[in-house]
Amino acid sequence: MRPRDDDAAHPGAGALVRLFHVSKSYQAGSWALRDVSLELAKGEFAFLTGPSGAGKSTLMRLVFAAEQPSEGQILVLGRNVSRIRPSAIPALRRRVGVVFQDFKLLPRRTVEANVALALEVVGTPTRQVRSRVFTMLKRVGLQHRRYHHPLSLSGGEQQRLALARALVTEPEVLLADEPTGNLDPDLTLEIMDLIVDAAARGTAVFVATHDHALIERYGRRHLHLEDGRLVQDTPGRGHRP
Amino acid sequence: MRRVAASARTAVRTAWSGLRTSPVTSGVAVITIAVALLLVGAFALLVTNMERILDRFGEELRVSAYLAPGLAPEAQEALRARVADVPGVLSVALVTRDEALARFRESRVARAALLDGLEENPLPASLEVSLEPAERTREGLAALNDELADLPGIEELGYGHGWVEGYARALGVVRAAALALGLVLGLAALLIVANTIRLAVYARRDEIEILRLVGASRAFVAAPFVLEGLIQGLVGGLIALGLLALFHVALVPSLRGGMELLLGDVTPVFLAARGMLTLVLGGAALGALGSAAALVQGES
Ligand SMILES: Nc1ncnc2c1ncn2[C@@H]1O[C@H](COP(=O)(O)OP(=O)(O)O)[C@@H](O)[C@H]1O
Ligand SMILES: [Mg+2]
Repeated sequence: MRPRDDDAAHPGAGALVRLFHVSKSYQAGSWALRDVSLELAKGEFAFLTGPSGAGKSTLMRLVFAAEQPSEGQILVLGRNVSRIRPSAIPALRRRVGVVFQDFKLLPRRTVEANVALALEVVGTPTRQVRSRVFTMLKRVGLQHRRYHHPLSLSGGEQQRLALARALVTEPEVLLADEPTGNLDPDLTLEIMDLIVDAAARGTAVFVATHDHALIERYGRRHLHLEDGRLVQDTPGRGHRP
Repeated sequence: MRRVAASARTAVRTAWSGLRTSPVTSGVAVITIAVALLLVGAFALLVTNMERILDRFGEELRVSAYLAPGLAPEAQEALRARVADVPGVLSVALVTRDEALARFRESRVARAALLDGLEENPLPASLEVSLEPAERTREGLAALNDELADLPGIEELGYGHGWVEGYARALGVVRAAALALGLVLGLAALLIVANTIRLAVYARRDEIEILRLVGASRAFVAAPFVLEGLIQGLVGGLIALGLLALFHVALVPSLRGGMELLLGDVTPVFLAARGMLTLVLGGAALGALGSAAALVQGES
């Protein structure tokens, strides 16, 4: 069956992210993802685990249209990403916040300017940008660092900056690729609380992590990838929206 | 509308900080554009002056229509007015017999002795016809010939064919060479500039990638670069114009002596206002186009 955009009659129509038998191969003969199908609803929070090279980052890259699937279909916010026009990609990405594993911060801009970037690309008026950036930096505890440059920040601070940039637009989907990898336990919980909070406001969230204690602690849905295959999909404890 | 304004402000701010944070790359781009435009400008200056010299020659290119003897002064004047109305004719001057004689006496070839024996003025009156610049060709001359030959009162036409063809050919060669060389220089300048800016784009490819990842449109990414190129081109164009003026002022006195000897009173001129504007705006266009080309190339 061919998936249609905004098909209200289709089961799971409320899902913001839907993968149908998605496979991805970067090189002929090897598969980064194999036949993955899943759905993520508005306000739903899912952990994504798996050994290094299992395909976690690939799955996220497919969702924000940085890659095209080799097989299958992906619907994100009602758009079929597997045949999206290149000119439609920016509009999609503005509704999807991403915390990259390597942060992807602009080293020559200040902390404040890095967060502002996500708002500027949509043409948000300057005054509004300033106040929203300030509020966001306060939430991640970086307001005192706003005039610094990313490279003068610690790894944990850079990670929080990356999260601030991803959340400042109040995205409908949040993809966080190992967002607590460099944080000590206290900061990890603070950051996770921010992400959980975003889900509570309706954002659909994927968090890739190696930290099984987190999964235990938060008791959310848990997807486990191995060798590109989705081998386990454990529902959360009483958190299903 | 507010979004567009905000985006424009962001582009200007980003372009400005791009210029400020990479002064070396920007400087290289500015100097490259300045040097390229200096070459183009120097060449344009040369062509302008050559055309001027040729135009002076062209003005001296006249067709003489010798009038029938015994034509009354009123008839001569009527004929002058008639010829002045012929299409392609710039001006007509009447040279009476007395004037012709006076001129001859003044000329170097005249020997008083040659004329002393004559009782009567042997020279005919004539009309000196100059052609409009566009008509100073063999065809123009032939057309004039056709028009004048049948007019009653005109006995004979005199002009130097060789002169006209030489003039027309020289002008054609200069213009064709100017066009070809101008095109080559312009293209070379564009390539050099695009290459220089490509380095700047390459140096910032991470920034571009990140912008794209957070949802920036192509235009949003490109605008600051194109703006930067435009500003660099503008500055480069102004520098080229300044240097050109400097060279002109410094070199004209020494050139003038030699040219006067060869060509009479010809003072080298500088580019006209339009030429100067073209040079500076050309620089801006070069910078902007170079950036755009570099970006398009960088995407593939
Ligand atoms: N750009 C790429 N080109 C080629 N192979 C890639 C690329 N990105 C990822 N891979 C391969 O795809 C597989 C999945 O990688 P990835 O999605 O990064 O896994 P994870 O994030 O779970 O560690 C790995 O085998 C990796 O080597
Ligand atoms: Mg990864």
